[in-house]
Amino acid sequence: MAPVVSVDGLRKRYRRRDAWAVDGVSFALEPGQAFGLLGPNGAGKSTVVKIIAGLLRPDEGKVELFGSDPGNPTSRKDLGFAPEDPDFPKFLRAGEVLDYFASLLGLDETERKRRIPETLQFAGLDQEKRQVRQFSKGMKQRLGIAQAILGRPKLLILDEPTADLDPLGRRDVRALIDRLKDSGVAVLLNSHLLSEVELVCDTVAILAKGRVLKEGTMAEVVPEGRNLEDVFVELVQANAPPRDQLPSFITEKDKPS
Amino acid sequence: MTRYSLVELSRRRILLVFFIVGAAGIALIAILLKVFTTALTGNVSFGGSGPAPDPVTLNRALELGFVSDIISVLGFFALLIAFGIGMTVIYHDLESGAAVAIFSKPVSRAAFTAGKVGAAVVAMIVIVGVLGIEARLFMFLFGTGDLGTALSAEAVAQVANAVTVMLLVMALSTWMNNIIAAVVAFIYNAAAGIVVALHTQDQAGLLGNNGVLKTALDVLYWVVPHQLISDAPREIAKAEFALITASTRDQGGPSSDQFLASIPSASGAADIIWWAFVVLVFASLVYFAVRRRQV
Repeated sequence: MAPVVSVDGLRKRYRRRDAWAVDGVSFALEPGQAFGLLGPNGAGKSTVVKIIAGLLRPDEGKVELFGSDPGNPTSRKDLGFAPEDPDFPKFLRAGEVLDYFASLLGLDETERKRRIPETLQFAGLDQEKRQVRQFSKGMKQRLGIAQAILGRPKLLILDEPTADLDPLGRRDVRALIDRLKDSGVAVLLNSHLLSEVELVCDTVAILAKGRVLKEGTMAEVVPEGRNLEDVFVELVQANAPPRDQLPSFITEKDKPS
Repeated sequence: MTRYSLVELSRRRILLVFFIVGAAGIALIAILLKVFTTALTGNVSFGGSGPAPDPVTLNRALELGFVSDIISVLGFFALLIAFGIGMTVIYHDLESGAAVAIFSKPVSRAAFTAGKVGAAVVAMIVIVGVLGIEARLFMFLFGTGDLGTALSAEAVAQVANAVTVMLLVMALSTWMNNIIAAVVAFIYNAAAGIVVALHTQDQAGLLGNNGVLKTALDVLYWVVPHQLISDAPREIAKAEFALITASTRDQGGPSSDQFLASIPSASGAADIIWWAFVVLVFASLVYFAVRRRQV
């Protein structure tokens, strides 16, 4: 089966004098597979997903999205991308944002009329009449997921999708991922919430400083009797300078006055 | 793209404020002039010691003053609106992060740029057009309205000039902070205006015969955008001259040619082609800035 995404020897840095943000990352993602991209802050996860979504250009390596360059707009036809900290044209309402994005996806009037109300309902924004600028972070995150699924994608990239969601919202996103996987959609999940990743992903890659530290199926990465968080902490700490525990003043006892 | 960019622009308060202030300014000028017409008939004269003008002459003078003021007001607000639109139409999508979701869709950067530029130009035409229509309606207060065509032509020229500034602000604000972009564009526009004005003076023979200055101005003239000019300023000046000479008969004074020497004539085909070229260059700059931008 042809992979929906293949990443081979990917390297990217933002300025010449900077260190590599992504340094030799390779993986492939097949239909119906849920892939977790894990790593501490600044590991390069968002850079990888932005390159796959055609938002950034790689410096080295090869990325193919549905067999072609992600920079080519037609390759993004079957891509749904829910970015981290999503934002939208701030003077539009939720329904208008979805209609705008539906037009970018090339959906006709009939499809728009069918999909937009259902998508708004799924996102819990069907009763919302305010403009996006008045939305909370959680509402923007819901709208971000809504616009990502609007085009019935064959690849759904979720970059920290549950960071600003309440527990009910998180449960909805987990259910969405399960449903999409079952229907053959590939999901690339970039999250700090390791328990969530463990629940929904089949394969994972753990990144630090732009490099893949470990990659494989969940069973390969997490040995029997351990959990993903233990493995993650162990791997990341082994590849990072030791951090001081707490600032010393925190544990200082008050001097008697 | 264009449709929702227009919806966005229509909900921006700053543009609404500029529009309301512009509309109120035009109405105020018109009403004040009408009040003066009524109050001053028979109490003023042209050329100091001449006879008091008849009401028809006074009305004509006020109409000319009104059209002249309206042209200034339209030009000023067209420029303000150009900055208001240029600073926000692309910049806010890029800075807020909305561009991340937009560019992940199957839309090319060229289509995005075309949609944004299209929306910006349509918004500019609509806003300045409505102000122009308002001005023409007020001109009915002053009778004949034979300068209405000149006013319409000048409104078109003002929109055309504002479009070049707007595109420059859009391109710069894709590279840098939008306030800095506006300042840079303002300075560039002012410098271009000075070059064009000096060139006009030079063409009229008002700057002497310095060959170096002449060559320098000729070169500079063809590297900056030219403000398009309708025949309105010249028509107004001619009408004013006719009014003055009619009321100061037998007292001598400058000839028509001397009077009109410093008034630029309407832009010719070369200026219009140059404007179209500049618009194309600035629109391409917007596109390349958007294309290079990584979000």
